[in-house]
Amino acid sequence: MKMKTKLVLSSLFLLVFLGGCAEKDRLEDGSKLIDKDTFVFAASGEFKPFSYVENDMTLTGFDVEVGRAVAKELGLEPVAKRIKFKGIVEGVKTGRADAAVASHTINPQRSKHVAFSTPYYYSGPQIFVRPDSKIKTVDDLKGKEVAVAKGSTYASTAEKYTGNIKMYDSDITALKALSGGRHDAVITDFVTGKTAAKEGFKIEGRQLIERSEQAIVLPQDNPQLLKRVNEALENLRQDGTLSKISKEYFGQDITTKPE
Amino acid sequence: MPSFSHFFETLTGSTNVFIDAMLLTLELTAVSILVGIVIGLFFALLKISNVKVLGYISDIYVYLVRGTPLIVQIFILYFGISGIFLLPDFWAAALALAFHNGAYIAEIFRGTIQSIDQGQMEAARSLGMPKSLALRRIILPQAFRRALPPLGNQFIIGLKDSSLAAFISMNELFNVATTLGSNNFDEMTYLLIVAVYYLILVAILTLLVNLFEKKLAVSDR
Repeated sequence: MKMKTKLVLSSLFLLVFLGGCAEKDRLEDGSKLIDKDTFVFAASGEFKPFSYVENDMTLTGFDVEVGRAVAKELGLEPVAKRIKFKGIVEGVKTGRADAAVASHTINPQRSKHVAFSTPYYYSGPQIFVRPDSKIKTVDDLKGKEVAVAKGSTYASTAEKYTGNIKMYDSDITALKALSGGRHDAVITDFVTGKTAAKEGFKIEGRQLIERSEQAIVLPQDNPQLLKRVNEALENLRQDGTLSKISKEYFGQDITTKPE
Repeated sequence: MPSFSHFFETLTGSTNVFIDAMLLTLELTAVSILVGIVIGLFFALLKISNVKVLGYISDIYVYLVRGTPLIVQIFILYFGISGIFLLPDFWAAALALAFHNGAYIAEIFRGTIQSIDQGQMEAARSLGMPKSLALRRIILPQAFRRALPPLGNQFIIGLKDSSLAAFISMNELFNVATTLGSNNFDEMTYLLIVAVYYLILVAILTLLVNLFEKKLAVSDR
């Protein structure tokens, strides 16, 4: 029995010790951060031009620059962390990152698990097909094979129109497969599709399906941080920083609500 | 398929990034193999002990690990238990790989230990060695030599399995390749490049295992 007690005690010790590491730093105003001096935000790095890496693996893109601007506004050191898109919500929930600036569309399913800031850009999914395709609108998608990125809201968008859905790790891989002759269509953000077409993918945009609002993802148990991020976003909107970053990447301002 | 000159240019132009990624792959592999050997030996010994309960514990461990995909185990260590304690990214990946390798290594050790002729143990015991000493001095050294070829095989599998750490934000070889590929709209080139890096690593690992085998074979004469 002595051996058993030892075992139980040592595992308890391990749990408490490691559990201590999981505790976030608490700031004076009640907001919690992994480290009190940094703002660790997640991005996928596989969603050009919103989030991608340079050839030396430094993270950049619209999302990442917005994240950096927000961090500066908060008076914190920005730390961009790359997590595969489908793991980001879980990552924010479990404290792998303080927040995510990763083009997350606000939707009820995600809202059950995480909190959203105010939208930092407005966009919408579009149908992409090969140039010779007859598909024009969502009605033509019935029974067709549609590819989307795992964990994106486009999967549920696609489900409304067809039962035949293929999942990919990233939107770019899905578009690449489409361009290479697989599947009938891909549903993805119109900016992403447009960029891929510019890069030489043999694809064409068809119907713009709906409007969506993209926001910063935060843990639900951190209302004070949410409040501060919203204040920071509002300041960046007012002083034109958001619009400036948008024009830099898209040549247009996608950060104001369209009519 | 990309042209050879394009492949070659991309290969030479990306060495800095890929060497960093390769070092991380090597660290992950080294930790997971070393810890895996310790775990494997521990559970192999439990299995061959005379205490039935210990044997069952070993069985359950091997069953759980072999019965679930590695990617599931990695996600459990990365996300699943983070409510209790938050393992750093590297350790979540390395420990998941180690636990995974450990089960296979345990089976390798158990098989090779049991393959040593019963007479060896009987002879050692009749010379007055206690069982634990006989195991340490007589059985395990012989078993380890027999275990080397399957172990080398497992190390290679472990090296390639480390690519699954890509899914929990480790910038190792596979993650760097898919990310650069997707960002340059040029996946095939980068996948071929990463294949070259893995081939080099596996060649080195194979060489090391072979050298080690030869070295142990010399002590046999």
